[in-house]
Amino acid sequence: MNLEYYKVAGHIFSVYYEDNNPSVNLTSFEPFRQSSSKSDLFRLTIYKRKYIPTDFVEVFSQVEESYVISCGTLSEGKRCFHLQANQIDLCWLIVSSDYREGTLYLYGYSRRWAFETSTMILYTLATSNMQTALFHASVVSKNGYAYLFLGKSGTGKSTHSQLWLNHLEGTELVNDDNPIVRIVDGEARVYGSPWSGKTPCYRNVNYPIGGIVSLSQAPYNHIKRMTPLSAYASLLSSIIGIRWDRNLADGLHETERTIVGLVPMWYMECLPNAEAALLCAKEIEVK
Amino acid sequence: MRIKDGFVLRDVLGDNVIIAEGLEASVDFGRLLCLNETAAWLWEEAVRQSDFTISSLAKALCEEYNVSEEKAQTDVTAIVEKWNVKGMIKE
Repeated sequence: MNLEYYKVAGHIFSVYYEDNNPSVNLTSFEPFRQSSSKSDLFRLTIYKRKYIPTDFVEVFSQVEESYVISCGTLSEGKRCFHLQANQIDLCWLIVSSDYREGTLYLYGYSRRWAFETSTMILYTLATSNMQTALFHASVVSKNGYAYLFLGKSGTGKSTHSQLWLNHLEGTELVNDDNPIVRIVDGEARVYGSPWSGKTPCYRNVNYPIGGIVSLSQAPYNHIKRMTPLSAYASLLSSIIGIRWDRNLADGLHETERTIVGLVPMWYMECLPNAEAALLCAKEIEVK
Repeated sequence: MRIKDGFVLRDVLGDNVIIAEGLEASVDFGRLLCLNETAAWLWEEAVRQSDFTISSLAKALCEEYNVSEEKAQTDVTAIVEKWNVKGMIKE
């Protein structure tokens, strides 16, 4: 099948493959597949060949270990992203100025990371103005509500989720890496996504958000409510967004402001132990 | 002088904050900077004027807030210096 449709956090998008062989293992996307639709928000077309734009001007680059995402523009004003791993070219993603079309030239190895990152980028660009935000967070659900754990990489978000799973009955993992938050009918909801690289947890589920906790490592367990400003600052650090486009920045700000107004947010200093999870749940769980 | 591109004044439930959103802006800035009401008003005036001086801002502050020229000059100098230290001003 050359053309596939997916629905993530209520937004429908399509992926078109030049030939009949996707060449990318899409287990992560399976739960989000849906039948064809006339109203896709954006379409990503994938070509399995090398193409290097000659008019690329780099504006910004992000390096994480050996992975490099270089962002820039092409002469017609299109946005362009170049992905590399270990200094080897993986792909080029070219995005139309209205963020409705993306073209991906995917030819290197590590196709999976390149594909996942490219779809994530395009999704963020297309939805930032639609009360939607892609988070870097670990999320659990319990008794009909979901709880997000925020923090820099290595802080222990996944560990904390695991502690809830192990010690608090009725807890399930919603997503361990990149959930999506969307404001729907005046309510903040969190959605599973096909992007959950850390622990393979690709679930097409969604819940109203009961609370958000920003974690920090400490030799003790202590939790307190955050002021609106601290809460907003935490969200800024935890949302994956492209802000140099003013429109997108405005959209993300609106979503962040709404979340702060709707969802209780906490700051927790903790150990990676059962007590931390129990204390956290006792404080934040929706009664 | 001007405010550098990429710094944006935003309202967070009644608090005024500066966020670094542009690419050059975000490099050294940190997360956000709170402004009190006067500083926020001055920021918007600085954006309105586009190319401004301490004096042009002080003059506007006098007119808006009914303070003495001297006090306005002192206050504006202090506030703009703070913005400069944060890397938000370009000559």
